[in-house]
Amino acid sequence: MGFIKELKKGLWDEIPVFRVVLGMCPTLAVTTSLMNGIGMGIAATFVLICSNVMVAALRNVIPDKVRIPAFIVIAATFTTVTDLGMNGFAHELHRNLGIFIPLIVVNCIILGRAEAFAAKNTVWLSLADAIGMGIGFTIALMVLGSIREVIGNGTLTLWTGIAWNVPGMHPMLLLILAPGGFVTLGLVLALMNRIEMKLAAGKGKAYSPPLELDCRHCVICKWGSPTTSKTDAL
Amino acid sequence: MKDILRLIIALTVISSAAGIILAVTNKVTTAPITTAAQKETVEALAAVLPPFDNDPNTCAATFTENGQTWTFHVGRKAGVFTGAAFEAIAPNGYGGEIRMMIGITASNEIQRIKILAQKETPGLGTKIAEAPFISQFDGKRIQSTVWAVKKDQGDFDAVTGATISSRAVLGAVKAGLDVYGKHAGEIARTGE
Repeated sequence: MGFIKELKKGLWDEIPVFRVVLGMCPTLAVTTSLMNGIGMGIAATFVLICSNVMVAALRNVIPDKVRIPAFIVIAATFTTVTDLGMNGFAHELHRNLGIFIPLIVVNCIILGRAEAFAAKNTVWLSLADAIGMGIGFTIALMVLGSIREVIGNGTLTLWTGIAWNVPGMHPMLLLILAPGGFVTLGLVLALMNRIEMKLAAGKGKAYSPPLELDCRHCVICKWGSPTTSKTDAL
Repeated sequence: MKDILRLIIALTVISSAAGIILAVTNKVTTAPITTAAQKETVEALAAVLPPFDNDPNTCAATFTENGQTWTFHVGRKAGVFTGAAFEAIAPNGYGGEIRMMIGITASNEIQRIKILAQKETPGLGTKIAEAPFISQFDGKRIQSTVWAVKKDQGDFDAVTGATISSRAVLGAVKAGLDVYGKHAGEIARTGE
């Protein structure tokens, strides 16, 4: 029961990229194509599972004062294992993802889950948390990667050889350049809030997006005025 | 004091365990990584060289010019020199280094050029790796060609919107061909 609950929360309620807005560096940088998104997602998931399980197993052994360096060493070890393993056994993917694999170690999601979850929970629940968060991260990267590849390049490549060329498409280059990452991410976040709003309205409840994700804490225009109630502003 | 000792021991044990895991992984993956890198070179050589039946990966001559090392891989068929291939690196691409493999025939023409690695702007600079830009090189004679883009009074059309990338490729090709010209006789005799 607990296992399923911890696993499911990473898929929608606390999906790392879209809800918690963590791990932005790899997210915006590698999602220029679906294939890169999948590769990065799987690599990060593997590191996340290993580090979460290890941190949970050692949570009573690691003294509190040195827990952060210990977590970093654990994450760095598994990242290097992934890096070497991919270089040897998935050489082409490794070449495409380039410098982003070593950067998994500073991916906030890894340290965030270690600190916020694995350090306080059992190995079993931490495993569920890591799998859920990893899959959520992979899904987020796949969504962003697909949108950017289809619109920005006019193709959708699942694997070398399995590709779909969008017919009659004139690619909009902006989407696979750096600004396109921000634009796509913003639109997907807006869409998710819209869906949440509809779902809440169906249940007869008012929905307000997490405050840190929108502009209402700024008071320059009337939407952000602190006197306006949040639901009115919508 | 006792507390500090506990912290030191904990960190030491964790780091040592990490070290052991990394050492084992390194040992296991060294061979596959070398094989994969070698396979990449062999595939690139096969793509740019005229037909050959020897092993150009090992049949090679190395020269040092201006502090840079150039390795020329020699292709032979039934013992006769059919062409040479070498890797050139353009340090001045728009997004960093551009690595390419250049193949030359025995009659001093470019057989083919293949871009191995690049970090140019997606959709603009990356077109240097595709036809029609890269296919302009096929069959060009080394002596009678001006290795520059048309903007610089050369013989090559630059990729639209990516003049810097195009110039970088041509610069590297020209530098490589100069070295080849100096040592052509010696390269042709390699592996006889």
